Amino acid sequence: MKTSIVGIGQTEFSKDSGRSELKLALEAILAAVADAGLEVDDIDGLVRYTWDHTTEAAIVNALGLDHLNYYGETEFGGVNCCGAVAQASAAIEAGLASCIVFYRTLNARSGVRYGRGERVLAEEDGWLVSRQPEPPGDIYSAPFGLLVPGQHHALYAQAYKGHYGLTDDRFTEMLGSVAVTQRAYANRNPRALLKDRTLDMDDYRAGRVITAPLRVYDYCLETDGAMALVIVSRERARGLSAKAVDVLSAGQYIFPGSVPMYLYAEKAYSLVPEAAGEELFGKAGLSPSDIDVAMLYDATSMMVPLALEDFGFIGRGEAQDFLTSGGNGPGGRLPVNTHGGLLSEGYFHGLNTIAEGVRQLRGESHNQVEAETAFVTLRGASSMILGRA
Amino acid sequence: MTVIRPSDEYLDQPFWKHLAAGTLHLNCCNDCGGAHHPPSPICPRCRSFDTGWKPASGRGTLKSFAVAEHPVHPMLADQVPYVITLVDLEEGVRMVSGIPKGTEAALEIGMALQCRVVRFDDRFALPYFLPVAGAGEK
Repeated sequence: MKTSIVGIGQTEFSKDSGRSELKLALEAILAAVADAGLEVDDIDGLVRYTWDHTTEAAIVNALGLDHLNYYGETEFGGVNCCGAVAQASAAIEAGLASCIVFYRTLNARSGVRYGRGERVLAEEDGWLVSRQPEPPGDIYSAPFGLLVPGQHHALYAQAYKGHYGLTDDRFTEMLGSVAVTQRAYANRNPRALLKDRTLDMDDYRAGRVITAPLRVYDYCLETDGAMALVIVSRERARGLSAKAVDVLSAGQYIFPGSVPMYLYAEKAYSLVPEAAGEELFGKAGLSPSDIDVAMLYDATSMMVPLALEDFGFIGRGEAQDFLTSGGNGPGGRLPVNTHGGLLSEGYFHGLNTIAEGVRQLRGESHNQVEAETAFVTLRGASSMILGRA
Repeated sequence: MTVIRPSDEYLDQPFWKHLAAGTLHLNCCNDCGGAHHPPSPICPRCRSFDTGWKPASGRGTLKSFAVAEHPVHPMLADQVPYVITLVDLEEGVRMVSGIPKGTEAALEIGMALQCRVVRFDDRFALPYFLPVAGAGEK
């Protein structure tokens, strides 16, 4: 890729924003453009998830954008956080647009909640009814009570635990190390929803079980807010005042059974084929050992060990040792989710995951590490490598 | 007891009609013989559109399981805890299933399972999978 992320904009994260998703989106977009040192009228492209309720047309109308040459959508939600950046980059390289904003806006706590079955079920004559063909909550899984993404994650977690024969204690320590480490990062991050709430391993163990083997602290936080990123060509980025971060490689990866919820993927304990990582690192001319900091989309804590192993940062089955020895923490071999992650900063469908990678490379993180390169992934479905400009 | 069912337009499809009649059938390719699930208009192996339905062996192994303790819908408050499973069938397909409410089962990944179809009414039945020793009990 020959593009750069030059602007980050966001609203506050909250449980109840008190305003419309459109208004949130506009606030985030204006903030992102300002952060980039650009004007609103510079925007000539938009990308978003198909699941976003706020259309490109709504943004164009609200802002009076009179030369929007490109708008693109990637399927689903956070699954495609890096895919949206890849598509924006491809559009820029193809000359379709020169300044593209990627936005995500949702009242995911005060509005439609992803952690609730009401999102996918109707009530009719005392029955709960599914009428959708695709997971989560589809007609082949909903009748067994498999309704929300967090339950799918429990299935991956149990498959991993069984595959490697981890004891309950060892498994608890592994995932607890993710939750506790990331909470400590969040405690130093003023943007984090849980900045004022500490978490230690005793608290973690005492957390109530949501869907076994996952506890409440293994889950991300339904969040209200909006975020936006500004993407331009690398050449143009060099002329801007913002601290640009280069997109070294980015892509999407799909295979039979993988999207959206991996229910029918062959291995439930390993979600990413080796080819996905090889292609991504190959295009960047880097290997996993070259990565300084990693942002691993943690809808649940289980995504962290899976991504570390699936992309070759550590060997198969080594996550328990890596995580319980602080490999993901400050000064560790590979600090992970230094904003607190979706578990403790807020669940922002990957945009805050990307933004923390950008902030690390700008030197603006609240848990700053020495970083020239950052890796971002949503369990391989879309991934990206960023580099300091 | 609250039960979740597919909407009526789906219950008219072969997968659900076979279950309502008491047996699990799988969508199969009439050319290469392979099974696939969920049902599809084309065989994912040989890309033949000539597909049909065959009775499943009902034999499978447990790929994973999860125990829902927290009800994600108010109408499920009387259901929790309940067990969700992923089952790999002998025919080479994966299915989402579960353990029927009120049935005790000590689960271990990789264990052998056998299908038991549970009917809820004339139109709707579900394929549960139980550890082999307990599969024949009614």
